[in-house]
Amino acid sequence: MAAGDIDAAATFVRRFQARVYGLALAVVGAAPDAEEVAQEAFVRAWRHAGNFDPRRGRVSTWLLTITRNVAIDMLRVRRDLPVEPAAVAEMLVGSVDDIDRQAESDHIAAALRSIPKDQAVAVVLAVHFGLTAREISERQEIPLGTAKTRIRTGLARLRSKLEVSRDRSD
Amino acid sequence: MTDRTECMELADLLAEVATGAASGPDRARLLRHLNDCDECRQELEELSRLADEVLLIAPEREPPAAFESAVLDRIIASAPRSHTRRLFTRPALQLAAAAILAMAGAGIVWQATTDDRELAAGYRETLDVADGQYFAAAPVTDDTGAEIGHVFLYDGDPSWVFAVLGPEPAPGDYDVVVQTGDGASTIATCEVETAGCGGGATIDARISAIQDVRLVGPDGTWFTAELASGRSAE
Repeated sequence: MAAGDIDAAATFVRRFQARVYGLALAVVGAAPDAEEVAQEAFVRAWRHAGNFDPRRGRVSTWLLTITRNVAIDMLRVRRDLPVEPAAVAEMLVGSVDDIDRQAESDHIAAALRSIPKDQAVAVVLAVHFGLTAREISERQEIPLGTAKTRIRTGLARLRSKLEVSRDRSD
Repeated sequence: MTDRTECMELADLLAEVATGAASGPDRARLLRHLNDCDECRQELEELSRLADEVLLIAPEREPPAAFESAVLDRIIASAPRSHTRRLFTRPALQLAAAAILAMAGAGIVWQATTDDRELAAGYRETLDVADGQYFAAAPVTDDTGAEIGHVFLYDGDPSWVFAVLGPEPAPGDYDVVVQTGDGASTIATCEVETAGCGGGATIDARISAIQDVRLVGPDGTWFTAELASGRSAE
């Protein structure tokens, strides 16, 4: 591997490590496992950097989808991990001022807080933890149809809120 | 041609697939529809981008001090391995092409149609996404030999196994059990309802090391997907 490549990789890791590790920690719960997930996510991202298509989104979200996938893989194998998806999801969508987020995620966090909490939680349970509508219905003890509606309506409302906020900022 | 009735029927599934909440069969049903519907495909892309943005809400946390150097060590270590795999893929594809030529019979020149070439190119691109070497699929049969589902396998980094059962088996949770020379391992659960089910996971073993994949029902009943031997190109 060329020295220039290593420097570029180091810059890439430094730029996104807090974000990647933060997501990994939120999903798998334990620091050593989160570190393993975050490392693997960077390795995969670097190996498949050629697949990144800037027209389809930002590099940060691309990297986070890889991180989420690695984390979910770990959850499926390591059923002993002390993860409470519902509690974490409520924390993530809750109105907490001390959460350390970058400005680029403020608008999405604000939009999530502005929709009904049960819908926001359902969306986060699916997006962050890879739970299917059926798994959400079982964990939340709600009918399957309700879980599906929460996801569908939540995403639609989220989209509307973001479109409104973009129109206002234009 | 786009079937508007189908678009309306499947509209509710778009958000579920975009967020990853759809069941395997629902996801497969929508993906089939997307082959012929640009409008729904574009809508799914937009919803998927939105869903991916939701990942940004996780709080940032600084990893342990040695994190950066550990990642760089792994990236450097993975570079030659990745190179080796790419080199390996090409001969494997050449072998596959040679087999097709042989089947065509001596003296017959196989001329690939545009569709075939596009299919082959698409296959290579898909495999390259995760350093894959091949996809495989095998039918799941019951004790009468009737097909009741399929198992799909991907040999890459990571490798994965995904099983789909139709509505024929009795309702209940079916463990997806992968059998290798080292023993059996349950990798996922597939919950059969009226519409069947799908379930799978990434695995540490090479696909070539798998002897069979079983779906074991709640009462111990099991169905097998026998994998063809000699799939490995090693």
